[in-house]
Amino acid sequence: MDESGHHRRRNRNPPSSHSSSFTGTGGFRRRELSSHPTKSSNFVSSTSTSSLNNSRDLKQIPNWKHRRNSSQEEKGEEGGTDDSFTPVIGTCLFMCPEGERTQRERLRDLAVFERLNGDPRKTSPDLAVKKFCRTISNKYIQASDVRPLPVLEDTLKYLLDLLDSSDHPFEVVHDFIFDRTRSIRQDLSMQNIVNERAIHMYEEVVKFHIISHLKLQSCSGSNISSLRYLNMEQLTKALASLYNLYDLNRNVNSVFENEAEFRSFYVLLHLNSRSQPMGESLSLWLRLLPSSIIKSKEMCFSRRVLRYFRMGNYKSFFCTIAGEASYLQYCIMKLYIGEVRALAVSYINNCCYKLHPYPLTHLSKLLMMKESDMESLCNACGLETTADESGNKLLPTKQTTFCIPKEGFQSYDLLGLQEFER
Amino acid sequence: MAYISMGEVHRRITEYLNGFADAVSSQDGGSLARLLSLSSNSPSLLSLADALNVFQDANRLIKQSDKCSQFAEIIVPLFRSLQNYRLGNLVDAYHAFEKSSNAFVQEFRNWESAWALEALHVIAYEIRVLAEKADRELASSGKSPEKLKGAGSFLMKVFGVLAGKGPKRVGALYVTCQLFKIYFKLGTVHLCRSVIRSIETARIFDFEEFPRRDKVTYMYYTGRLEVFNENFTAADDKLSYALTHCNLLKEANIRMILKYLIPVKLSLGILPKSCLLEKYDLLEYSNVVLALKRGDLRLLRRALQEHEDQFLRSGVYLVLEKLELQVYQRLLKKIYIIQKQKDPSKAHQLKLEIIVKALKWLEMDMDLDEVECIMTILIYKNLVKGYFAHKSKVVVLSKQDPFPKLNGKPVSS
Repeated sequence: MDESGHHRRRNRNPPSSHSSSFTGTGGFRRRELSSHPTKSSNFVSSTSTSSLNNSRDLKQIPNWKHRRNSSQEEKGEEGGTDDSFTPVIGTCLFMCPEGERTQRERLRDLAVFERLNGDPRKTSPDLAVKKFCRTISNKYIQASDVRPLPVLEDTLKYLLDLLDSSDHPFEVVHDFIFDRTRSIRQDLSMQNIVNERAIHMYEEVVKFHIISHLKLQSCSGSNISSLRYLNMEQLTKALASLYNLYDLNRNVNSVFENEAEFRSFYVLLHLNSRSQPMGESLSLWLRLLPSSIIKSKEMCFSRRVLRYFRMGNYKSFFCTIAGEASYLQYCIMKLYIGEVRALAVSYINNCCYKLHPYPLTHLSKLLMMKESDMESLCNACGLETTADESGNKLLPTKQTTFCIPKEGFQSYDLLGLQEFER
Repeated sequence: MAYISMGEVHRRITEYLNGFADAVSSQDGGSLARLLSLSSNSPSLLSLADALNVFQDANRLIKQSDKCSQFAEIIVPLFRSLQNYRLGNLVDAYHAFEKSSNAFVQEFRNWESAWALEALHVIAYEIRVLAEKADRELASSGKSPEKLKGAGSFLMKVFGVLAGKGPKRVGALYVTCQLFKIYFKLGTVHLCRSVIRSIETARIFDFEEFPRRDKVTYMYYTGRLEVFNENFTAADDKLSYALTHCNLLKEANIRMILKYLIPVKLSLGILPKSCLLEKYDLLEYSNVVLALKRGDLRLLRRALQEHEDQFLRSGVYLVLEKLELQVYQRLLKKIYIIQKQKDPSKAHQLKLEIIVKALKWLEMDMDLDEVECIMTILIYKNLVKGYFAHKSKVVVLSKQDPFPKLNGKPVSS
């Protein structure tokens, strides 16, 4: 049957003839990419609970732990067929391999940031950064095209520093960093680098995607919605890889200081009530989480926020956010805040006494909005507002014209968290 | 190990080989199944294993046997597996068993009728169980446990063999359930989806044709998936099916079904009797049920906290959290009833400050704004019929049926 055949390919294990020190991995395989990018198959949870004793014996490569368990889907996405099972050891000392650099010069395929003095035909080793390449057969990878860990770390730092540049519109900056960090992840994956330094790098990449997630909300342009979509896709993929890395590196003594916060993002991404953004149900994910993480402050925060959201408790939702959200948590939640506010308006409109129009001052305080924004939101939801004799703005209730604005919610400021606003 | 004479060794091996060949020729699935059931630790298999470990040349005997040489590809690795199993080398035992099973499945395809299904099922079971043991061995020596995953792939192949038009197809559900067990154990639950799709939409399968035991197990697992996805009506259907068709004597199984069915039923407003919870040792739900009966928000939160780990592991925590709204409803109803006794004409007006007071008695410190917010939620979701007068800070209840029952439907979202 088709279905079982499909699964046969996905679950096939590497032949047992390969030596154990490099395998346990499925190498790379061209992933059967589902058309829905956030399908649950992105999140194969690691089954490895073993300590990684053997890796310490790999003396020839002091800092690298070799992945003992593969996250097939994630690695497969980063490239390649499953021809070989030996990870490459990269030797390229530049941000971009020389061959690619000269080729792209010739083809005039240079991003704005890579151009020497703005010349589209010239770049330099200090400016060119390796591009992401979707399909690379393992057979043809040369070590000289792959950057070793220290180079990758420097490259990542260089890229993230570009975020501060204001010479170009954010979409342009984002697009460049998006692609080049994806290439970094690919290089990490090809070399099977799964140690703590990889964790730090993935954390930085996830941070980039989260901040982009926020900033792209206020960008415009013809391709902006696909940028947002793709950013979300890579956010979830990078997050999945990061979780795998945490699991692989977990032992009794180590605690990753950021793990709790980064895990909390997964919960917050479920504030999207319209679909299961991460594919897998949250209940399932929580099952497998270590107790120490579940009890962490950040996880408790995110679970509480989610609980209020699911219940529709807008009052506590906003109080909690105002009190405890970190910047990155805020970036994720900002997108969904519009929905909660509209929900509150809907409830008030539906349930309150017709003869007591609801004061907007009060509502806007509850929803942490400026009163003028409150009025706009009501109007955007198809509701009229009025004023009393003293000029206080009111929302008459039991209006029948409530609707969720089709274009989504405008991003109003969140009063009380202004330090997070741009 | 006690000394075994060469004669005895030969006898045991030959007895097995004859048994195998006879089972095949007389199409006796049951007997064949028993011969494959390694983990059953049956005395005959264990004694055979001992004999094999003494006498290293069983392959010659197999090839010499007229009746059995054709099954050499099955039996040779099977013997090896048995030997390793006996010696506690579980990874090697698994590898050999998988090899043997592959050969068995090839033979199985050639047998026209479904006589050997029972034996195939034993193979499916053993593959899973041996893989689990092998993974434990791998994990304890610091290596990556991946045999169970491989077992999953193997079973998908077996499923494929059974998914045809002939009489063998009734065996597919059993294999499906083994796959469910593997995927649940590995946490790769999303892989269940494609098998489920095959069972439920492929025309060759008629669900009613499958053996009852397999149907119960299938509904149990698919019901659990619905619980994870919070599709309460579907979860109720499936888990209730499993419950009603489950053998009453299998109390452990009933308990497992109830563990998931109870939160589902609670979400639909249906409470279990305490004798049920006691009988099946599901006392972790006692306080939850009591909180719903009493309208005691504090008790619900405490119960969730007390059993947080347990509820999270089974994946019902988020479901139970949602019960808060029903607890609020109950609390309001109680206030209403008390007011009705004091002064029926004013009972339908619940002052916000009274509700705040009641919550304070329960050590729940909520301000007027939050309580107001909750009131709007309850009204919006039809747990309370009426409206909220913001200026006078009063909930005005409808005179008729102000607290509608859920009637088997989940709270609207």
